[in-house]
Amino acid sequence: MEAYLLAIAIFVAIFTLLTLGLNLQYGLTGLTNFGLVGFFGIGAYASAILTTHGYPVVAGFAAGAALAVIAAWPIGLVALRLRDDYFAIATLGLSEVVRVAIISEKELTAGVQGIPGIPRLFAVLESRTWQPLLLLAVLVAANLGVVLVMRRIARSPFGRVIGAIRDNEEAVRALGKDPARFKTQVLMVGAGLSAVAGSFYAHYVGYVTPDQITPLVTFQIWMAMILGGTGRISGAVLGTLLLMLLIEGARFLPDLLPFVSSTAMAELRVFVVGLALVLFTVYRPQGLMGEVARR
Amino acid sequence: MSLEISRLVKAYGPIRVTDDVSFTVPAGGLVGLIGPNGAGKSTLFSLVTGFLAPDSGSVSLDGRSLDRTGPAERARRGLVRTFQVPREFSHLTVRDNLMAAAPGQAGETLGALFLLPGRVRREEEALRRRVEEMMAFLKLDRVAEVPAGNLSGGQKKLVELGRALMTGARTILLDEPFAGVNPVLIEEISARVRELNARGIGFLVIEHDLAALSRLVTTLHVLDRGRLIAGGPPAAVLADPAVRDAYLGGAS
Ligand SMILES: Nc1ncnc2c1ncn2[C@@H]1O[C@H](COP(=O)(O)OP(=O)(O)O)[C@@H](O)[C@H]1O
Ligand SMILES: [Mg+2]
Repeated sequence: MEAYLLAIAIFVAIFTLLTLGLNLQYGLTGLTNFGLVGFFGIGAYASAILTTHGYPVVAGFAAGAALAVIAAWPIGLVALRLRDDYFAIATLGLSEVVRVAIISEKELTAGVQGIPGIPRLFAVLESRTWQPLLLLAVLVAANLGVVLVMRRIARSPFGRVIGAIRDNEEAVRALGKDPARFKTQVLMVGAGLSAVAGSFYAHYVGYVTPDQITPLVTFQIWMAMILGGTGRISGAVLGTLLLMLLIEGARFLPDLLPFVSSTAMAELRVFVVGLALVLFTVYRPQGLMGEVARR
Repeated sequence: MSLEISRLVKAYGPIRVTDDVSFTVPAGGLVGLIGPNGAGKSTLFSLVTGFLAPDSGSVSLDGRSLDRTGPAERARRGLVRTFQVPREFSHLTVRDNLMAAAPGQAGETLGALFLLPGRVRREEEALRRRVEEMMAFLKLDRVAEVPAGNLSGGQKKLVELGRALMTGARTILLDEPFAGVNPVLIEEISARVRELNARGIGFLVIEHDLAALSRLVTTLHVLDRGRLIAGGPPAAVLADPAVRDAYLGGAS
């Protein structure tokens, strides 16, 4: 049971990095990035490929983040000229491009089979029971660092302008500021952060496959952000935790309802999570941490 | 800084919303633009500030063409507009709305934010003082901490005006700045506009309050169905039969 709780805590910490990145992009700036998982995948695969070829863990993290940031830049230039709804579709499409590229680049990525045998973080301590605790501590520290950086951004002149962009882009232009520059930077920071989360994920799970980087992940992160309260940095943390509790809690349904067949149960779990989300958004639309987009 | 508007044409389908409009706002000028609803005044502002591309015609600032520049670049060159329907940053406080309008803040780049925190803090303090003054002048100081989306229509117009003034622009286009603003404040704002004008800032003002506008500006242009039908000193223009016709025609 302890190991199980620890595993959940580690997943929550990894996905919170993604939620914090989405909160910067959508919550603070209004960018509807539906392609988060693409950047997550770049990080996961960069770490998987490099570390299984004998490069150090740090190289995987750095290469993943750098690649994701570089990938975000042209997306910023091109996609930011699109209207919001097209931007959402374009980013969703791009994340699928990443997945399809991974599937077809068999020599590098092993295609649909994926890459197993990714070394765990702090592998030298593998035998120690506190190894996962150390990983969790590192993740918590990383999250704390990111929260501090996000706070600094949100309360800065930069944060003021991205908030203005979210509220009225034309008016920002009328005042002599280019929304595209700010949005591109936000997209690049979000991409780098998503890649770091992907690297952590790859090392923790130990293998990567294209199935891990479907749009479902993106939408779960959106749910987490909405649950926590869009625009609230602390909400990103709590929302991710709540979503994970909902999803994991639904696992115990079979024990409660032993007479339901296992295929029906799989659907019932999705239904229960969905119902909980709907109820939550109806009765607390502002999310756990309150009002939308107040700093 | 003189603004030259030259032969601007913009049509939606068969209708020319602005039809061959030309006039100049001289450096440090104080010019009014009136006309019935739908005459094309706001559209002209969008053409001049680069929010809309004209079908033909051109706009230049001090003899330099602006035709290939977008709205943000025009604003950086000192040409700033406000909007008839206020475009406040609704989730930002009034104070942040005004602070966001100041140009060239180091803290608006991520690099400086994390590498030069001291400089960012000093700039913020200086800017904050300027914004306090602006809010006091516009009688917005009591709502400094209120999200701009929660303000009354008149207060939103004042936020629009305050933001335009904060940009440090040399030529400012105001689209119905007095709509919904209380009469006492209208006189105070007019006084402030005159004061800024005396320091060399040019204004082009669209306004339906003809009395207030004619007291403010030295030149008045009249737009009717996309065409300029009169221009000159306010008293003469308002006495012009063609102008009276246009307004009566617009009202009927
Ligand atoms: N996007 C558009 N498509 C078609 N007609 C438009 C569009 N925008 C404005 N118009 C028309 O242009 C005319 C001028 O509008 P506007 O410039 O707002 O007038 P004013 O500010 O003088 O009241 C109006 O008749 C309006 O209906
Ligand atoms: Mg108008």
